[in-house]
Amino acid sequence: MWQVYLKELTELLRDKKTLMFVILLPILIFPVLFGIMGLVMANVSRQAEAEEHRYVVIHADRAAEFTDSLFYHKNFKQVTTELTSVDELKQAIRDDKFDVAIVIPADFDASAANLDQSKWQLIHNSSSQLDMISKHFNELLKGYSQKLQQAKLLALGVTMEQMPAVLEPVKVERVNTAESRENIGELIGGWIAYLLVPLCLVGASYPAMDIGAGEKERGTLETLLICPISRTAIVLGKFMTVLTTGLVAALITVVSFGGWGYIIGSMMGVDIVAKAMSTLGFIDLSLILALLIPLTAIFAALLLSLSIYARSYKEAQNYIGPLTMVVFMPLVVSILPGIELNWKLAMVPVLNVALGIKELVKGTIEYSLLGVVLLSTLVLAGAMIAFCVSWFQKEKVLFR
Amino acid sequence: MIQIQQLAKSFAIGKQNKLSDSEKNDVRFGGDRFHSVRNVSFDCAAGEVLGLLGPNGAGKTTTLRMLSTALQPDNGAVMIDGQDVIKNPLQARKRIGFLSSSTGLYGRLTARENIAYFGRLHGMAETELNQRIEELLTLLSMHEFANRRADNMSTGMKQKTAIARAVVHSPKVVILDEPTTGLDIMTVQTVLDFIQSLKQQGTPVIFSTHHLDEVATLCDRVVVINHGVSAFNGSLNEFRELTGSGDLRQSFLQVIQREAV
Repeated sequence: MWQVYLKELTELLRDKKTLMFVILLPILIFPVLFGIMGLVMANVSRQAEAEEHRYVVIHADRAAEFTDSLFYHKNFKQVTTELTSVDELKQAIRDDKFDVAIVIPADFDASAANLDQSKWQLIHNSSSQLDMISKHFNELLKGYSQKLQQAKLLALGVTMEQMPAVLEPVKVERVNTAESRENIGELIGGWIAYLLVPLCLVGASYPAMDIGAGEKERGTLETLLICPISRTAIVLGKFMTVLTTGLVAALITVVSFGGWGYIIGSMMGVDIVAKAMSTLGFIDLSLILALLIPLTAIFAALLLSLSIYARSYKEAQNYIGPLTMVVFMPLVVSILPGIELNWKLAMVPVLNVALGIKELVKGTIEYSLLGVVLLSTLVLAGAMIAFCVSWFQKEKVLFR
Repeated sequence: MIQIQQLAKSFAIGKQNKLSDSEKNDVRFGGDRFHSVRNVSFDCAAGEVLGLLGPNGAGKTTTLRMLSTALQPDNGAVMIDGQDVIKNPLQARKRIGFLSSSTGLYGRLTARENIAYFGRLHGMAETELNQRIEELLTLLSMHEFANRRADNMSTGMKQKTAIARAVVHSPKVVILDEPTTGLDIMTVQTVLDFIQSLKQQGTPVIFSTHHLDEVATLCDRVVVINHGVSAFNGSLNEFRELTGSGDLRQSFLQVIQREAV
């Protein structure tokens, strides 16, 4: 068995494609991709931040103090219009004559003694995800409203000291019992699993195709089968190879992400990574690995079975593609808010490991539950390996 | 010495496989199974070369796969030097050298590593293995490309490597499945020379082929398989004398037609 294992590893290490998938991809390409994505996002929001909104105000003279603040705001630029009706204004915005129209009622009077509520209209297209117009408008209006509130309350005989009690009768001070680790864990724990589990699968799938279907395609399988070692030994050697590459791919990625995170963090003076890493103890990291090993074993056995069954490399790819989709489903479930590890979910393959990793990162794992996760994953892994071994004995699988 | 008695093997037919009319007329279809090999018997003594002839799809490859223990027969017996191959396949594999028609090699391993890998799988000790590899490299004049990866070799180099790999463990019987199909003249000559050298060492060789001239120059015995049955089993001379003309082609056609009637 170890002969087969050693030879497969040697061969894989000499293959440029494997090196690309297992080593180069996680070390260089992923961080670069994520970096570019981050840059693009930052750029887009900075652009939106700096965007100038062309505005018109109807009856601007009724609230001069407000329209002045609008005029001096760096994001707003006044344009003129003769239109007055709402429908006309809407059409003008659609025609891109200006971006926003504010309609102040003709009878609005800021200094009036009456206590009637005034209704203004803000006309704009709010479909953008970064709705900067509303944001900026609300900021300005809040300041203006506060001033009006104050003036009216003073007129009603409320003193400045009484003002807070009227404006905000109850003030709540929040005390959070969650440790900062729990918050960070909730935030990134799910994503860690979401990243690690597919990596184990991807890292394992290319070698699995190569040493299963690839061997059939090259015509070496037949020769291998008539060597005086049992088919069980052959398949276990191959299985170990696939398992190794899956785990190595995941490990390399974690290390490279840690490294890149550290470099970027120290350059920008942000120490999120250092903080996140320091919250995870050595035991937690080993437990995460302990969860990943049997899970990768399940993947390895499954991938190898599919690959051995396939007649060619191409056929193997067709089988393994859908498998990737199937694995992603429970991972998506695991990052949904409100999904937590319980006795039932501890039995669901993939999902249980993903949730287990999340709880471990949060530091809120129940060890009995973790035991169930580990046990159920181990049992399934054993069953899958047994299936793979018996699958490899079948002539209709090997000689299709 | 290798003896094959009443070998038979059938395969399940998938429902999705639509059969053509001519395939349906094949006598080997029975129920939901295809009886690829029905009754093949022959033997090959030490120092003899046996040529296995037959039309495409006659059951030659299946027969050879059963001899090499890659497939397990439904019926019959294979004995090498009195030892039952089917009952004890792991032991028997040490005595068999098998070269398939596809000459598969591991492309990313060198010639030497390809040979060594199979030597190790055959349980050879390192010193013994290295000695044997040197011997084979010299015998097949492979030294100049011994450390080249199989991906970068010519077909001839690959074939030589495959031959060396097949006999690295000094087998008692050598089985070759269409070893000359699709090769150029130079490479074919390498294979034929190799068979000749095995014959001189007294190792029985069984090989399947479509080339009657190879049979004429090398073989002591001829077996013709048609529709999964060994339709002829005898010496080269007996085969030649089946028709008055002494032409091997005529003899072959006669055997095939005799069976069809």
